[in-house]
Amino acid sequence: MTTAELRQQRGALPNPDVGAYSDVNRDVLKTLSRPGKGWWTLFGLAVGGVGIFLACWFWQIYEGIGVSGLNAPVGWGVYITTFVFWVGIAHSGTLISAILFLFRAPWRQSIYRASEAMTVFAVMTAGLFPLIHVGRVWHAYWLVPYPNDRFLWPNFRSPLVWDVFAVTTYFTVSAVFFYLGTIPDLAAARDHARGLRQKFYKLISLGWRGTDREWHHFSKAYIYLAALATPLVLSVHSVVSWDFAMSIVPGWHTTIFAPYFVAGAIFSGVAMVITLAVPMRKFFGLEKYLTVKHFEAMAKLCLLTGSIVLYAYLTEYFLAWYSGEPPERGSFWNRVFGHYWWANWIMLTCNGLVPLMLWFKRVRRSIAALFVISIFINIGMWFERFVIIVTSLSHEYEPWAWGIYRPSIFEMGILLGSFAWFGFWFLLFTRLLPPVAIAEMKEVVPPPRRGAVQRDAEAPA
Amino acid sequence: MERRGFLKAVGAGGAGATLAGCGADQVERLIPYVTGPEEITPGVATWYASVCGECASGCGVRVRTREGRAVMIEGNPEHPVSRGGLCARGVSALQALYDPDRLRAPMRSTGTGFEAISWEDAMEIVAERLGGEGETVFLTGRAGPAEGELLNRFASAVGGARLILDPLDDVALRAAAEIAFGVHALPRYDIAAARHLVSFGADFLETWVSPAGFAADFAAMRRLDHGDKGRFVFVGPRLSLTGQNADEWVPAKAGSEADVALALAGELVRRHGRDAGPYTDLVASRTLAGAAEAAGVPEERLAALAERFAEEDVLALGPGLAGHHAAATTANLAVLVLNAAAGAVGRTLHVPDAPDAEAASPRSDVARAVERMAAGSYEAAVVAGANPVYALPAAAGFAQAFAAVPFKIAFASAPDETTAMADLVLPDTHPLESWGDSEPVPGAYAVRQPVMRPVPLFDSRAMADVLLDAGARLGHDLGAATARDFVRQAAEARLDELGVASPDREVRWRTLLRTGAAGAGAVAGPDVAAAPDAGAGALRPPATAISFEPPELEGPGDLDLLVHPSSRFGDGTHANRPWLRELPDPVSKIMWQSWLEVHPATAERLGIRRDGDIVRVSSAHGALEVPAWLNPGIREDAVAMAMGGGHEEYGRFAADFAVSAGVNPQTLLPDAADETSGTPALVSVRVQVAPTGAWTRLASTEGTRDLHHHQDDRNIALAATVSSLGHAGEDAGHAGEDGHGQLQELQQGGGFVPVPTEGKAADFPLPGSDFGEYGEPHPRWAMVVDLDQCTGCSACVTACQAENNIPWVGETEAMNGREMHWLRLERYYEAVDASDGGDLDVRFLPMLCQHCNNAPCEPVCPVFAAYHTPDGLNAQAYNRCVGTRYCANNCPYKVRVFNWYRYTSKERIKEPLNWQFNPDVTVRDNGVMEKCTFCVQRIREAGNRAAVEGREVRDGEVRTACQSVCAAGAITFGNIKDPDSEVAALAADERSYRVLDALINTQPAVHYLKKAVFHDVDEGGH
Repeated sequence: MTTAELRQQRGALPNPDVGAYSDVNRDVLKTLSRPGKGWWTLFGLAVGGVGIFLACWFWQIYEGIGVSGLNAPVGWGVYITTFVFWVGIAHSGTLISAILFLFRAPWRQSIYRASEAMTVFAVMTAGLFPLIHVGRVWHAYWLVPYPNDRFLWPNFRSPLVWDVFAVTTYFTVSAVFFYLGTIPDLAAARDHARGLRQKFYKLISLGWRGTDREWHHFSKAYIYLAALATPLVLSVHSVVSWDFAMSIVPGWHTTIFAPYFVAGAIFSGVAMVITLAVPMRKFFGLEKYLTVKHFEAMAKLCLLTGSIVLYAYLTEYFLAWYSGEPPERGSFWNRVFGHYWWANWIMLTCNGLVPLMLWFKRVRRSIAALFVISIFINIGMWFERFVIIVTSLSHEYEPWAWGIYRPSIFEMGILLGSFAWFGFWFLLFTRLLPPVAIAEMKEVVPPPRRGAVQRDAEAPA
Repeated sequence: MERRGFLKAVGAGGAGATLAGCGADQVERLIPYVTGPEEITPGVATWYASVCGECASGCGVRVRTREGRAVMIEGNPEHPVSRGGLCARGVSALQALYDPDRLRAPMRSTGTGFEAISWEDAMEIVAERLGGEGETVFLTGRAGPAEGELLNRFASAVGGARLILDPLDDVALRAAAEIAFGVHALPRYDIAAARHLVSFGADFLETWVSPAGFAADFAAMRRLDHGDKGRFVFVGPRLSLTGQNADEWVPAKAGSEADVALALAGELVRRHGRDAGPYTDLVASRTLAGAAEAAGVPEERLAALAERFAEEDVLALGPGLAGHHAAATTANLAVLVLNAAAGAVGRTLHVPDAPDAEAASPRSDVARAVERMAAGSYEAAVVAGANPVYALPAAAGFAQAFAAVPFKIAFASAPDETTAMADLVLPDTHPLESWGDSEPVPGAYAVRQPVMRPVPLFDSRAMADVLLDAGARLGHDLGAATARDFVRQAAEARLDELGVASPDREVRWRTLLRTGAAGAGAVAGPDVAAAPDAGAGALRPPATAISFEPPELEGPGDLDLLVHPSSRFGDGTHANRPWLRELPDPVSKIMWQSWLEVHPATAERLGIRRDGDIVRVSSAHGALEVPAWLNPGIREDAVAMAMGGGHEEYGRFAADFAVSAGVNPQTLLPDAADETSGTPALVSVRVQVAPTGAWTRLASTEGTRDLHHHQDDRNIALAATVSSLGHAGEDAGHAGEDGHGQLQELQQGGGFVPVPTEGKAADFPLPGSDFGEYGEPHPRWAMVVDLDQCTGCSACVTACQAENNIPWVGETEAMNGREMHWLRLERYYEAVDASDGGDLDVRFLPMLCQHCNNAPCEPVCPVFAAYHTPDGLNAQAYNRCVGTRYCANNCPYKVRVFNWYRYTSKERIKEPLNWQFNPDVTVRDNGVMEKCTFCVQRIREAGNRAAVEGREVRDGEVRTACQSVCAAGAITFGNIKDPDSEVAALAADERSYRVLDALINTQPAVHYLKKAVFHDVDEGGH
């Protein structure tokens, strides 16, 4: 039995439109050709956005963190909200590529490359925010344990130090995993490219030749890295959630935070994959590879994680009431009816109500509907973090210290700039790396028959 | 490259980089003393006793100087009147001393501006202008006896008249005392001896007569003693800070004081057979029903009050400055009559035997002077220690008349509205730099000695020295050559009078300088009504029949406008101090801005939707726009505004420092005065109030405004019923915070935790409750704050700011909730009812870092910037702080403040304001967290001193800055591990509790003693 047949038995999604290995190479590598006007426009916007991002940040470093709207009692606001948002986004990549790989869910094969790229860029974006938000960024390296003559170490009891480890580990592993997976495809790109590009791919494909021995090592390394990355999917967002859960802030201090945050992260991450995959599929003509079936599978994942998130919301309300403690009750009362009621209702609507539509198969199979829903989820998940962080801090134990936080224009600039920063890398990715895994796609394509003309028999993949 | 070459290159490059970093402009030379000045040891503070010159109360101060610069002001416990207390205005004197806007040289008007001239030129001009034949008018503030005498002598020598301007002087009370007792002097009140204190609006804890001294008396009166304490009833239309401290509120209409007081006296005469001297018949005709009608309060409220007056040791005060209206003298007289009928005269109210020397001139005299100025009758005018252009209502026409005077000399340390109009401006020294004296009450005397050389950036001279110099130039002998000699002569004479004996005059003088004061306090002074039963017998019949008619308020509006002195700015004199402008007003908790107090029901009627809605207030004399603040503590038919805002020329902090100057409510007032005494009528108009539709955010520290200032269900400021206290031992199980009758265990760290009643002995004490306990050699610093004594005056906030180099942030930042105070005064309304009055319960709670044993801020800091010291302090290493702000998020008390900007930059703290910085405390940079340190620098100083002397730190040796100004003595600090310490004893009191401890096990080191109230409170303390 061929690999493809085996995989089809396990639910892989063969596409009748994809005829041969050569079609895969042609269709995918086409995306790496000279970019059109549309790409340049988007890239220009992204560069401009990064400029705004840097300008806001440098002004903040020069003037002081006071250019944000943060105050007492709300010491964390849009920056940490956006940090958690991007860390969450980063989750689906590893989930799709590593966990689904280990669980032998081959429907992942056409989306995992893009989602892995998204993971790496999202962590790169998220990792900036702790730096942006601290008062003295020039001393931020003190959070890293490095040997020094004063024997000063970070406080290993602090969740922020755990955060440093969690995020850097996650970035390292996901970047290595991402890069490793692209090597055979980079070799394919190398063989198609000419001139400077060829030299570039030659360098980064590490001299891949596609021998049996190389494939053997590659698949072993891939499976081990997948196994290594899998616990990180769960641990990173658990640790991020402990930034909150380890504190005593009413609305933060709760044991459900780790699973709640992990589910939310996957929820938002899958939504972001949909948001990115829909236009990518359209612009690059990858409809054959990113099919409705793929989207339906992602929609189901959204539905599952979204339901967990909604359940977590309801649990929080119930437990706040059930605890009987005035600060706990007050905190959740304030969420729903207080100054930030609108943020809470945006969150509930976008994350709780809108995804309920995914119960309908017609919705799950409608690309347009999924795109719209995914945008709702992205917005809702940003607001979820805003609600958790800002409303909880604004209404703690001490009534005299209750206060209101209003994000400043600089925070908005940095928030939007972070999307530009992410988009900048993602756009580069679509032009420099094969956005769909060529090698894995071929696994589900009917293998070439003996005797047929093999135009690209020398193709390594 | 060879290794050697590489090292050379690195070495040369490194040295070059190092040298490039040292610009020549940064070279500063350190020149050691060749012969060190006497009394100055670098690094060691020198303290001087002196007298606060910020208002006429003349409280005793001790000024801490370092290397010849004053850095901190505290109360002087040896002062007979203030007894160690000081108000926020007193502490803020440092910012007047180092005000960067102070005058730097004598200045002559050029018509369009000013030019700096030398003192010699200035003195020649003075001599020439005052040496002529024409008459000169002297407009001065209320001075000390010596300075006043000098001014009088000088004025008469050059042929002039002296007028004393002090809007905060209770002229009407003095006039009433003259009618009642025949002495033109302020009566002296013995609040401490009263069991029932009734204030008819007198703000004796804020601005009236001697607030710090009264606060100490008030604290003594209210001290719990065997389950009982003095009771305070406030009668008046608006709860001032003083009113908020009352146990009961009778929300009487403005102007109804005489009606109420006479009716109460009438009740005493009718029902209890008391005597009101020559007024007996008059008061007998006054009924409670009539008074209730006039005051707009239920009759039974007054009946209950009348019963209290029938008891012993009552004292009625007032109506005070805030209640001054066109019938102020008769209102004061009515209250004095009530005191007489109630038997207070001679017991709790003492009448001096001599008239007050320095009393503000009646408004009628001022009006006559203004007329004469306008008519050109004066050749010259000299203004000193007063700012009449600002302080008098626009309707008085002072500015126009002043402009008509041919030559105007102004003595002032900082430019203000009056100096802006002067022809010659002479920079005066600050009171902390010059000699003076004070007579806080008859029988007490204090000398104001300079605590430092005049700040050399300002070429200032003491007014007294200038007058003596000018006198010499004009050929008049004024009695001494220098101010110091003049004051010493006066002091010697006064000490002789007081009978302070000493073999050596020099020793006596030095002793006076060291202790700061001599003589006795308010109670021990001479009394014309000294016979214990003099009572109503002391009352004299009035010369003319007095009708006690209530004042008519001028329309056309329907809301009584209550203009009251500000407890922060007085009449506006202190509005140029950033500390005071950023000090949340003790009543409204608003910083920097002006506001109009409106009752929520009135606001609803007028269409004012929320705090900060800008309203237009108009009277027949003017109109202004100001944000509204909704306050249930004011009658529905009244609105109130504090004085002190709306400066035009008073330095950057009064107007220009990115702040609104606020508004001056006097623009709404006519030039009205009480006819008998001439006191300005602050309550004289009814205004119209209409929303403009605009809104501004209020720079308020209060997070509970949406809850009508209530603390919700959070159990922060607790209270206990007086009758349930003082039975220690009978039901000790109820002492706990939750009151559920659990067993309570006293912790080593202080305070109680519930003890489980099940389980083995090994389970005791509760796991975790010994967090923060350390080995034997270390003390455990702790604080007890008695909420029953705290009056909410907020002096501690400013003292903390002064001691710890805490920056002010300005109006915009304050609006953003970024004020930096390490100590804040929370104020919760528990029971406030403006329509019916009755039991009043306003709780004050000074909230500072609780220095928890089990501190939530410490484990979350990623870099150990927040850590625990071996003596239990919750410390913050500023230089280690990265600024994640996690500690602030995790602090349940929200006492950590963050440096959002470089608030202490040279651009913000202009030379020489930085001279005030305490050299023992770090000045924090941008991006770091900071918080209360329990004044760790004082702890370490005491510890070092004790170590050098080979002993332990004594109990009470370390006094925190907040404690060192608290007039009420509400704050106690010490080592709670020492069972004999005062703090340990108080922490074990049955009223002791720790905020939020029962809920989240933070085990704070700050213990609060519940407020003791007369009404019933539930178990949670509400």
